[in-house]
Amino acid sequence: MSLEKPTPDTAAEVGVTEDGLDYDALADLLGGHVLDREEHVNAEGFVIRPDEVQAVLSTLKNEAGFDHCACVTAQEYDDRYESIYHLRKFDDPTQELSVIVPSPKDDPHNESAARVYSTADWHEREAYDLVGINYDDHPDLRRILLPETWQGHPLSQDFNQDQPQIVTLRENANPLEADHRSEDDSDTMFVNIGPHHPATHGVLHVKTVLDGEQIADLEPDIGYLHRCEEQMCQQGTYRHQIMPYPDRWDYVSAGILNEWAYARAAEDLADIEVPEYAQVIRTMSAELCRIAAHMLALGTFALDVFGDFTAIFQYAFRDREVVQNILEDLTGQRLMFNYLRLGGVAWDLPEPREEFFEKTRDFLDDLPHKLEEYHDLITGNEIFQMRCVDTGVLSPEEAKQYGATGPVARGSGVDYDLRRDDPYGYYDELDWNVVTEEGGDNFSRVLVRMREVEESARIIEQCIDLLEQWPEDEREIQANVPRTLRPDPDTEIYRAVEGAKGELGIYIRSDGTDKPARFKIRSPCFSNLQTLPEMSQGEYVPDMVASLGSLDIVLGEVDR
Amino acid sequence: MQSAPLPETLANLVGLDPNSTPVMILMSLVGAALIGTLMMTNTALAGPWAKRKITAAFTDRIAVNRIGPYGLFIIVADAVRLLSKELIVPDGVDRPAWDLAPLVIASTALLGFAVVPMGSGIHLADPEVGLAYVFATASMASVGLVMAGYASNNKYSFLGGLRAVAQNVAYEIPLILTGASVVIFTGSLQMSEIVAAQQQTLIGPLPSWYAFVNPFAFVLFMIANLAEVGRNPFDIPEAPTEIVAGYQTEYSSVYFVLVYLGEFIHIFLGGAIIATIFLGGPAGPGPASLGIVWFFIKIWGVFLFTQWARSAVPRVRIDQLIEIGWKGMLVLSLANLLLTAVIVGVIA
Repeated sequence: MSLEKPTPDTAAEVGVTEDGLDYDALADLLGGHVLDREEHVNAEGFVIRPDEVQAVLSTLKNEAGFDHCACVTAQEYDDRYESIYHLRKFDDPTQELSVIVPSPKDDPHNESAARVYSTADWHEREAYDLVGINYDDHPDLRRILLPETWQGHPLSQDFNQDQPQIVTLRENANPLEADHRSEDDSDTMFVNIGPHHPATHGVLHVKTVLDGEQIADLEPDIGYLHRCEEQMCQQGTYRHQIMPYPDRWDYVSAGILNEWAYARAAEDLADIEVPEYAQVIRTMSAELCRIAAHMLALGTFALDVFGDFTAIFQYAFRDREVVQNILEDLTGQRLMFNYLRLGGVAWDLPEPREEFFEKTRDFLDDLPHKLEEYHDLITGNEIFQMRCVDTGVLSPEEAKQYGATGPVARGSGVDYDLRRDDPYGYYDELDWNVVTEEGGDNFSRVLVRMREVEESARIIEQCIDLLEQWPEDEREIQANVPRTLRPDPDTEIYRAVEGAKGELGIYIRSDGTDKPARFKIRSPCFSNLQTLPEMSQGEYVPDMVASLGSLDIVLGEVDR
Repeated sequence: MQSAPLPETLANLVGLDPNSTPVMILMSLVGAALIGTLMMTNTALAGPWAKRKITAAFTDRIAVNRIGPYGLFIIVADAVRLLSKELIVPDGVDRPAWDLAPLVIASTALLGFAVVPMGSGIHLADPEVGLAYVFATASMASVGLVMAGYASNNKYSFLGGLRAVAQNVAYEIPLILTGASVVIFTGSLQMSEIVAAQQQTLIGPLPSWYAFVNPFAFVLFMIANLAEVGRNPFDIPEAPTEIVAGYQTEYSSVYFVLVYLGEFIHIFLGGAIIATIFLGGPAGPGPASLGIVWFFIKIWGVFLFTQWARSAVPRVRIDQLIEIGWKGMLVLSLANLLLTAVIVGVIA
């Protein structure tokens, strides 16, 4: 079957057995490091000492094969702070392990994991920024989402919301200060690219040091679109109030994919079984979203490389419009769908169903022709190839190290797709392929997206066939879910789905109320953006812009 | 076909003595004003209206269609809009240079039209060094670009200015060398001579335009011209997605209009040079008085080509551009020049 993944050589890895992970073997591997073991819904959690993080994580990485640090969750309990490192494997993401690092309430410190997993750099900065845990031996522990001058840590328990955050202009960092040429390095020039710049796809600020036109140093500065999404979700009830928020993370067409991330996490947390019919509808609508999102990525990438609002951009939007119309028929919305519900979907396909099927089929029938047109205009263009091949190269090792996922990782040859590797929905029943390209350059990433559109179309087509033949009396769109959902206290879960940009994960800890005690979003764009300095070092400014475009970040999801 | 230059015609028209110097100076000024107005009108049509319509056609859109027939009155609306905007003068700009740059950019391109024979008797002057003069005025715009880029005290402008110089130097040499290959055919730099030399027929109904005589040179010239006027794939001095707007980043209101105007006139000047030395100038079917119509059809054809390239072709990178210029275009244009010289020398 096409979904079969080439079996990796895991013989050397500790704790891998026929039926999943043997946590006892892992605990033996770590020996005395493990103070306690906790049971999370998705995996077991090992509690370790705050000053042994690097030792434990490097053992797990090198000897047990946990090469993917998906997320770092920080939270504050009444008696302690806690950092959770959600580890999994690129080869098999169902093999998960949480490493729990408690730290004392009065002086929260623990060792940084950034030396083991580069991706932890930003994740820990975020944890420091929002929760207030200090990470020792961190390469650069600064605030990341909030301004440097912010007082307090908003997700910590003693944060005073009414405290005025008045900062005089004088106290603020002057972005031009770094402009002064130092004596030893007078050949470079500091340039702020963004937050107002035509190519930053929103409000991204890239601090660049140029040597001529080449990039000597680069640092993305994010947080301009931080909307406290995590806290807002923590204040909403599971059943209805959280679902509209995911639409606003990756707000360009990927809404249903994001909703599914929350739906999956909450459903697994509360043990809700989704009817098969609803799963098929979810799968279909999610793939429609993916096509729309990839079309947009393609159009804006062309915009970055071609220059002005050119034909490609407009063509991509024209075709995306068709998908948007289909989604509008289905959900009633064009952007903020709010279509999934815990345990199912909001409503059945629109009547008359034949019309909807026909419309979708027409789109799918036209798609190969349109993709051919794109290949003519974009990937077949020699100037385009000149610009994109071998620029912004990201090696598979670096991609893994930075926790890159989605088309970015697959463009670097990392065969990682949660739809296949950690199956959910109806994906494992359907016939489709995971697309990878080996190049690791801007061109590969674009090519991966274009080919993924084809695969999505295949999935949608099969879903439509299924839906068409579904017996009328078995069209169950919604499972039985209690009106007020109160998951058992102290259950914790990290669950991810394959969003448009990569692994979109959500960590939820319940405290027995109808609202989550901690709601953490693992945004794929956040991790993917971390690879930008790696890709653009020494490249020309235009290539940096192209790399940024090929990363396909949405600042709403980066900043949350 | 060969008619007296415009000032003489004008003097005769109003019954003044074409041999007196003051009269000729006056008539030259009137003629210059006439040609200037003509080109400005073209630019007004091209900038706010035709460009939008053309780009829209390439990108499956409709573009301006609300104000006036076919949206034509958008030209008036845009003029009012742009001129009534606040002129923002950023702190720390290098004042005289910053103010002069838009004027230099706009006016140098206009100067070139003085020697271009537009047909129907509209030809202001016909010096013997006509072609050299046109190339000289066209390249003077680079000075304006550098002034704008350097005086703006903005890093994007600065980068844009540097890119503009690098690009213009790299592409002007192939441009002029290719133009020189035409001069080898005609043996004269005089614009009227170049036009006159293209009057015969080549094969069958095909006129002996140099685009048909030496299509290789024509293609080379068209490509170099794209770089000269800064349109895709060579629009890197502006490159909105990279350096915001290059040298024009800090300009607003009237100054912006002037810079923009200068760019469009520059495109038309490029078109005029191409029309004159490769497409037979004002030549075309019908009576000679229709010459100006044919001439403008030709330069609008070139304009259309630049817009087409802009809509469909990706931009190259700055180092690739320089490489194409010095390693590709220059070698090819030198080869073209040598071959032309050899062929002309052997045949003639």
